[in-house]
Amino acid sequence: MIDLITVAGKELLDLRRDRLFALLISFLTAVTLISVTVGAADFRNQLDAYNLYVANLTTSGSGVVPAAPHLFPLQLLRSGIEYLEILGALFAIVLGYGAIAKEKHRGMLQLFLTRPVNRFAFALGKVAGLSMIWWVVVVLLMGVSTISVVTIGGGAVTGTDLGRLGFVTVFIWMYLVFWSAVAVALTSLSASHSTALIVALVIWLGFVLVIPQIGDTMDPDNQVPGGLFAALNIQKPDEMAVLAHFSKFDSIRNVLEVSSVTKHFERLSFALLGIKDQYNQQPIPVVLTAMLPYAITLTAATVVAVVFAGAASTRRTLQRKQS
Amino acid sequence: MTAAAIRTWDLCRSYGTYQALTKLSLEVPRGEVFGLLGHNGAGKTTTVNLLTTLLEPTSGRAEIGGRNTVNDAASVRRSIGYLPENVQFYDSLTLMENLRFFGRLSGIRKPDARIADVLRFLDFTGHENQRLGTFSKGMRQRVGIAQAILHDPSVLFLDEPTSGLDPEGVRILRETIVRLNQEYGMTVFMNTHLLTEVTKTCTSIGILNHGHLVHHDTLVNTLASFPEEESLEAIYFQLDPAVAP
Repeated sequence: MIDLITVAGKELLDLRRDRLFALLISFLTAVTLISVTVGAADFRNQLDAYNLYVANLTTSGSGVVPAAPHLFPLQLLRSGIEYLEILGALFAIVLGYGAIAKEKHRGMLQLFLTRPVNRFAFALGKVAGLSMIWWVVVVLLMGVSTISVVTIGGGAVTGTDLGRLGFVTVFIWMYLVFWSAVAVALTSLSASHSTALIVALVIWLGFVLVIPQIGDTMDPDNQVPGGLFAALNIQKPDEMAVLAHFSKFDSIRNVLEVSSVTKHFERLSFALLGIKDQYNQQPIPVVLTAMLPYAITLTAATVVAVVFAGAASTRRTLQRKQS
Repeated sequence: MTAAAIRTWDLCRSYGTYQALTKLSLEVPRGEVFGLLGHNGAGKTTTVNLLTTLLEPTSGRAEIGGRNTVNDAASVRRSIGYLPENVQFYDSLTLMENLRFFGRLSGIRKPDARIADVLRFLDFTGHENQRLGTFSKGMRQRVGIAQAILHDPSVLFLDEPTSGLDPEGVRILRETIVRLNQEYGMTVFMNTHLLTEVTKTCTSIGILNHGHLVHHDTLVNTLASFPEEESLEAIYFQLDPAVAP
């Protein structure tokens, strides 16, 4: 355990002073905050327009109060989640790869392997260090995003909303740790750094971009802005009746989507943030119960990736790759 | 009977069909400074990797201080210090941070006092809070020695320790090796190409030729065995025809 903490501590120290890390995190923070800020500003405009309309009606002596628009501040985090889903995963791979590749490049692996350390300390220490870094980054990102939603958007965030944000923060963290651990494992297993990076990027491309994209393309709701059925003015019961004729098509789409860990993360986050209409404003336990399979698979995937990193980076494996 | 510092029995290592080391039987008594010579690809680094537990032998066995390098590898690791060739350390970390890391990995819970001792011994104080990115090659090599001796090992392995150093760096390193041997009684095993360094530092030598140990004796005996030769270099060329000009 002490070996693991030593390696994790060194990793934290090293990353804190790493310019590439600073650059990647700054970029990720910037794009996430810009997207949240733009959304928050739009939210503010809609809110102001409604308030102005109500004020005008009141001034003109009308007693009619129009229904408030359905504005839910947590939905503003949608773009931020999408950036973390794609760019966050990419940066997690780069950091996981760098954590091992740099050691090999510096010749430090040989030195490490001649020390009397626990067989799993190297990889698990690296993953632990990266996990701590990701936790700090994700908490800061979510914190600043929430502050932006409140201050720029003027949206009220309730205690329940903070609970939802708490769960989403944990799931984002798990998702990023998953990708970093996969990269650590692949880089440890591969004798060639470039091969490891290429394989990791191909996996990222397939699971983060291609599969979710195919699933999205097959979704009738994504064919036109606002959704196909809404555009055609088809009510929900009729929509369900129509879709019943395409159940096989929908099953294929679903199978495709759930084969990607990214989609599991996305469905979880979107449900908790109320981005998916059916879960909007539902109590947290209801959402979590409905999303339990995705929560389990995301957790399991993360645990498997960490175990994979540990198993792939034992002294014996690393020695074999060194020789 | 006190076990030898290093002992091998018919030690072999192959990579696929390539035989890197063939039946190496060697004994280095405690307190020796042993220099392993040989041309590029002779099997020197493979030998060090086997003795430092980085590699497992294809056949044969090796012991460090009476402990088997395969069956008792953890114990061997606690008793050795190692400085690989061209190791770069962590540039973004200070000297203290680098040494703390290696101290803890070597099992020293609170390494600061020991680090201070080692830096004093190496006459390397005053750089503790300097990042390694600003260090010269010679300074880095001293960091390498410092991390290797932090846990007070009984055997120190050095792989081409003078590689890339300027004459002043070579002199400092040579003096350090001699002092480690004389003041701490540390056994030193080093691979090197520099025959002048061997003459000035080593008490015994071995010469590898294509994975075979073709010579092993004390430096004094080696020089005495070839009275007609003027230098160790001339003797080396006789013993290792693979590198003869």
